[in-house]
Amino acid sequence: MNETAQPKSLCWTPDELPPNVRLGANSVITGHYLPGDHPFKHFRSRLDPAIVIGAGCTLNGVYFNMGEEAKIEIGDYCHFTEAFLLCELELRIGNYVVIGWHTTVTDADFHPLSPDDRIVDAIACSPLANGQARRAFARKPVIIEDNVWIGPNVTILKGVRIGEGAFVEPGSVVVRAVPPHTRVLGNPAQVIENI
Amino acid sequence: MTFASGSRQLPHDWYPGTLPPNVCVCNTAYLGTSYSFQEYRSTASIGLRIGRGASLCDRTVLDVGPNGQVSLGDYALVSGARIICDSEVEIGDYALIGWNVVIMDNYRVPVDVAMRRHELERSSLRPQRRLENECESRPVRIGRNVWIGFETCVLPGVIIGEGSIVGARSVVTENVPPFTVIAGNPARIVGVLDH
Repeated sequence: MNETAQPKSLCWTPDELPPNVRLGANSVITGHYLPGDHPFKHFRSRLDPAIVIGAGCTLNGVYFNMGEEAKIEIGDYCHFTEAFLLCELELRIGNYVVIGWHTTVTDADFHPLSPDDRIVDAIACSPLANGQARRAFARKPVIIEDNVWIGPNVTILKGVRIGEGAFVEPGSVVVRAVPPHTRVLGNPAQVIENI
Repeated sequence: MTFASGSRQLPHDWYPGTLPPNVCVCNTAYLGTSYSFQEYRSTASIGLRIGRGASLCDRTVLDVGPNGQVSLGDYALVSGARIICDSEVEIGDYALIGWNVVIMDNYRVPVDVAMRRHELERSSLRPQRRLENECESRPVRIGRNVWIGFETCVLPGVIIGEGSIVGARSVVTENVPPFTVIAGNPARIVGVLDH
């Protein structure tokens, strides 16, 4: 009987990254093996640098879905597993942050709130847009401080600051600031304990 | 599941991997792909048991640590879950588990910040980059005939009684009595089933 021999997952080397992505020492970005899934498939930022990643980070199957003016900063020793980072403005993530599988962090609404504006926006997004401009939508930076743990299937919405050392339980929907050193759970996420 | 003699390759597998030797699959069960075992590293005598007529579909990931043991009962259907197991995860006969469900018997990291930082530094030096520390785990048991809706999270130590239904996107933090309907985040009892 053979030992399990699994092929290695794809690992992006610095020269395969977009030129405006800075990857710190001993940090890795690994891809998903599934065909068509690619960390930079929806990376459109024109800022330089657009992504700055510190040292010792493991970003496994992370999607960088970024608009033209988007910027993401990630500190040292972070560990993300198949997180979706949807960024139109700014995500600032500290050191020693863990983000679990299938978690979404977004700093924007992506569409306007007003029904009339949304019709215009839907047309501008369509194959019939014909160069028509999109409508403005709300965006606010997301800040995740040092030592934060975020579980799997979590949703973090625009404008949220997650305080140092907070523990965000799996499946939480975080719509407002999380105080430092607290444990939050639920939809909407509420403090259940001080750590 | 029938194998070519001496082989641990699945028929029609799109991924070029093999089944680990300590996986015990009934020959009437269905296993989608060996890709499900990329994070599987159980060294228990039987790390995964799959019963008669049970199915473990394509997108399922078995993140099973060295001491982890997962069992899937007869006719159980797992349609794309993430199972995070360091001790024991038991899924009963006829259980139906929706897609993107997370079932975890541990948090993969210590709650203590200093210990978590230490583990993140250490994991950055491992070739596989895994979080591998021993942290507290509490077995999860999902009873016979339980139905769990998609994107639900089942947290460490939870026992779900026979025949219960868990609504989609719930977060189950406490034990669930048999034949009840629960939903929400955190999940609450919303109904009782006749039986």
